[in-house]
Amino acid sequence: MKLQKEYLLRYTPVGVIALLLLTLPLYADLSIVSLITKILIFGLLVMSLDLLVGYTGLMAFGHAAFFGIAGYTVAILGKHYNVTSFWLAAPAGIFMAVFVACIFGLVALRVSGVYFLLITLAMGQLIYGIVHTSVGPLGALTGGSDGLGGVQYPEMFGYAFEAETFYYFSFAACLICCFLLYWITKSPFGYGLQGIRENETRARALGYNTWLYQYIAFVIGGLFAGIAGVLYIYYNGFISPEGVGIGASGFLWLMLIIGGSGTLWGSIIGAAVILVLQYFVGGLTPERWPLILGVCFVGVIMFYRGGILPQLINLWRRVINGRSA
Amino acid sequence: MVLFLVASGLSLTLGLMGIVNLAHGVIFILGGFVGLAIAKLTGSFLLAVLAGAAASGVAGLIIERGFLRLLYKQDLPQVLVTFGFIYIITNLMLWICGPTPRSAFVPSYFSGSVVIAGVSFPFHRFTIIGIGVAICAVLWWLQEKTKIGAIIRAGMDNAEMVGGLGINLTPINVGAFFFGSALAGASCIIGAQLFGSVGFGDGMDMLLVAIAVVIVGGVGSVEGSLVGALLIGIIDTFGRVYFPVISQYTMYLVLILVLMFRPSGLLGRKL
Repeated sequence: MKLQKEYLLRYTPVGVIALLLLTLPLYADLSIVSLITKILIFGLLVMSLDLLVGYTGLMAFGHAAFFGIAGYTVAILGKHYNVTSFWLAAPAGIFMAVFVACIFGLVALRVSGVYFLLITLAMGQLIYGIVHTSVGPLGALTGGSDGLGGVQYPEMFGYAFEAETFYYFSFAACLICCFLLYWITKSPFGYGLQGIRENETRARALGYNTWLYQYIAFVIGGLFAGIAGVLYIYYNGFISPEGVGIGASGFLWLMLIIGGSGTLWGSIIGAAVILVLQYFVGGLTPERWPLILGVCFVGVIMFYRGGILPQLINLWRRVINGRSA
Repeated sequence: MVLFLVASGLSLTLGLMGIVNLAHGVIFILGGFVGLAIAKLTGSFLLAVLAGAAASGVAGLIIERGFLRLLYKQDLPQVLVTFGFIYIITNLMLWICGPTPRSAFVPSYFSGSVVIAGVSFPFHRFTIIGIGVAICAVLWWLQEKTKIGAIIRAGMDNAEMVGGLGINLTPINVGAFFFGSALAGASCIIGAQLFGSVGFGDGMDMLLVAIAVVIVGGVGSVEGSLVGALLIGIIDTFGRVYFPVISQYTMYLVLILVLMFRPSGLLGRKL
């Protein structure tokens, strides 16, 4: 009985946050709802990066590319081929992200460590180069540096989503993906990945096909980044090369580290911190935002690498224990 | 040749210290901006190159001593710190200097052109090539023929062993970082004659090209950087002429191909 009570107490914050999020459109105005939607989508994206970085130890620096590929696929299908059905465009976007992840993984996993970081960075920039090209048939397809817009909220079963209902849709999608990712990390496969992160040589000696494990993790990361990309293009209605390149990938890294890498849920907190900061600073001094971002980057890495989530958990544990003592 | 100059600095820090300095590109334009300002003031090309190199070198020194030193042996945080500095330095420069690109400074004694086989080449191209070859020779001599070079090469192979032999690697590391950054700054001013101007976008472009050069050529060797720079430079130029549509990413295709078949680069040390 005591155990149950403790359990309940421990997860109270989760319940409170869930309740707040579920009832959000009732009390918050539209810009806040929109901000939270964005946080959820980026949270999902950062989580997919966390699977690679925090769990497998792969330093992928081109993760925004998969996100962008999915978004661009949906936008191109809608604009040039008149495919506006969610049931066609969304799977196509996710498929393209996974497809590219399959190819990139083959190349990138030939090297490890810092070189893996560099090659994923280069591949991310390759995608950036492709969507940034303004000339030729490609330019017409992707809109070059102007980006591609005009994507509406999706329509399902004859019902067209609006900002608030799309918030619930994203919330549900992110929740499902969260649990899938959580399940993956707690599966034998997930523990295998963590073993590789800790000591690849030992994992190999134990008979693990470490290459295959890393490859599958890379593709799964691409898959969830693709899902986030599809959600984002429907949310934002517009995508430009800036959302694909090295800047975007670095942005994700910052969220990941602030939230705490290897914690999965921390990713959402990291995304929330950065996006809320961007929301307010963007309103005050948009010109100095990159400077603040850079200082955050350096500061967090120098002094605060554990991330917020582990500290929050510790704090709550102390609160509970203090009360029961 | 400009590619070689930029890349050899990056290669030095990557090979010796295992640090990927993503801020190398902004350090490059920092040197360019400072140097070109000095050039405008004094009208001296030599002073401009020295000032640019000094500014870049000091920036590199601050990053190394102030931050990277505290993250010794931790690859990922080091990379991320240098990434953060891209934002910081770029935005500070934007704040101070404004967004306009700086136009290049071509000293009068480099202007004019030479006619070879009926085609006229601007004279400053030859000076760029000349300076590049000279620096390449000096670097090669430093790394292969001197005691410092021997320590550097040994440090690339096994830093702990070098330390165990009673050699203090810290000054070598600091010097390498300073020197690599200074090279980047100097090459920006030298290369600006070719590009015509230096803007904020160039930093990122140059960083990516330098990374490609280092990976293709192989980390930690002067010859590797040279071969990589020539290969990437030629492919990029021909790509622009013959396949303009894919010219923005021919470089990456080469990079990926090399990594697939020779993961340690064409002339690199073993990873």
